Amino acid sequence: MRGSRTRYQLGTVLLILLVLDFGLRPLFGHSRIAPDFLLLALLVYSIGTRPGNAAVAGLLVGLIRDGLNPVTFGAGAFAHTAIGYMAAWSKAVFFADNLYVNAALFFFGAWLRDVLTWLVGRHPLGSDLLWQLGYWSPLQALTTSISGVIVLLIFRKWLHIRIGE
Amino acid sequence: MKIAPERFASRRDTLAFILCVAMSLSARVAPPQAQDWLSDKIQLVMVPLLWIQEQIDITIEARPLVRVLTAQRDSAALDSLRLFILTEENSQLRDLLSLSVRMRTRHVAAEVLHQATPLGEYTLLLSVGSEDGVTEMAPVIAPEGLVGVIRNVSSETSVAVVWTHPDFRISAMTADGTVFGIAEPRGTTGPRTSLMEIRGIPFREEVPIGSTVYSSGRGSHLGGAFPRGIPIGTVRSLAEQSVGWSKTYIVNPAVQPGSVSHVIVLVGAEDDIAGAFAPEQEYP
Repeated sequence: MRGSRTRYQLGTVLLILLVLDFGLRPLFGHSRIAPDFLLLALLVYSIGTRPGNAAVAGLLVGLIRDGLNPVTFGAGAFAHTAIGYMAAWSKAVFFADNLYVNAALFFFGAWLRDVLTWLVGRHPLGSDLLWQLGYWSPLQALTTSISGVIVLLIFRKWLHIRIGE
Repeated sequence: MKIAPERFASRRDTLAFILCVAMSLSARVAPPQAQDWLSDKIQLVMVPLLWIQEQIDITIEARPLVRVLTAQRDSAALDSLRLFILTEENSQLRDLLSLSVRMRTRHVAAEVLHQATPLGEYTLLLSVGSEDGVTEMAPVIAPEGLVGVIRNVSSETSVAVVWTHPDFRISAMTADGTVFGIAEPRGTTGPRTSLMEIRGIPFREEVPIGSTVYSSGRGSHLGGAFPRGIPIGTVRSLAEQSVGWSKTYIVNPAVQPGSVSHVIVLVGAEDDIAGAFAPEQEYP
């Protein structure tokens, strides 16, 4: 019974993040630095589940991203799969439940996702790559990380997060 | 938080990961037609969320447009207000021109230079002076009727005392010329009252409610200011009566000085200007 309720609560949070990605993200104005709520949903799901499930979730999220921006179809799917799997795996291996650790996970997850997407997407190398990975991606990773912390603080009971320990 | 069970990742997890990676890389190297087909299907599934994003985008784009539209609406409202003022002024000028044509006595048209002074309601500064032939005690009229009388004259401007002044008096009569009285502003609050009254109507005389009263011209040949036949106002009601002696009637003035922008100053010596006013204001 408790497990069922937990699943519904997690599902609600993920649904909220999904809607926020389409409903709130445009309000940030600059899409390159707006928080990626879809990736955030993937990371929130990944840190509480098995790596295999996280990989499947990553594939789905990546396909959604690729479907809406099919220029480098498949690159997003690969990047999100890898991020989901690594997040779940690294969470199990290294990290305790700590707000700063989760914030760092969101930050590096978002940044690494961009790196992988660029690598697999075969984007041209040059100053654009430097700007993207050295400037825009960290900014977006930062806003995503801040948003993730806010989400954890708001839904800490639903997500069973023990913050500050 | 529930940590992933077993030792980090089971074989099943690893298999799932490899399968997902293989699928994503397959999608990456798939023919463009297949990628487009899959992309179309994904977009079809995401329609509700894309609709939300579209509405948000429309709202964002509409925000500056709302500001522009609001500014345009305000400008239009301001323009319509100016248009109303211009229309009103134009109407007054047309009436004044019409009156001027019908006027047989010498006269000059003047613009009212409204002043924001504490006692400005009692007087009007006019744009004509002695160089235009204006003299003290010259009657000031508007197309609707009586406005006041000239009090001070300089070379290019003059000051008129309007009927709202507490000391203002004019000899009045009914349209048939049978009943006479003295018209003056009603009460002692000067311009704060918008009414006049006619005092000294003989007790036995009746003045019909709604009838127009005119200047009687009495005494004009003895130095009185006003010629005969200037509309003063219309009788509104009986105010009071002293039994066996006299009656007082309340009168709606023909002209409210505050709304006048142009006037005519009579500078000729004509005693009777009958017929100069609008045809509906029948003069005997």
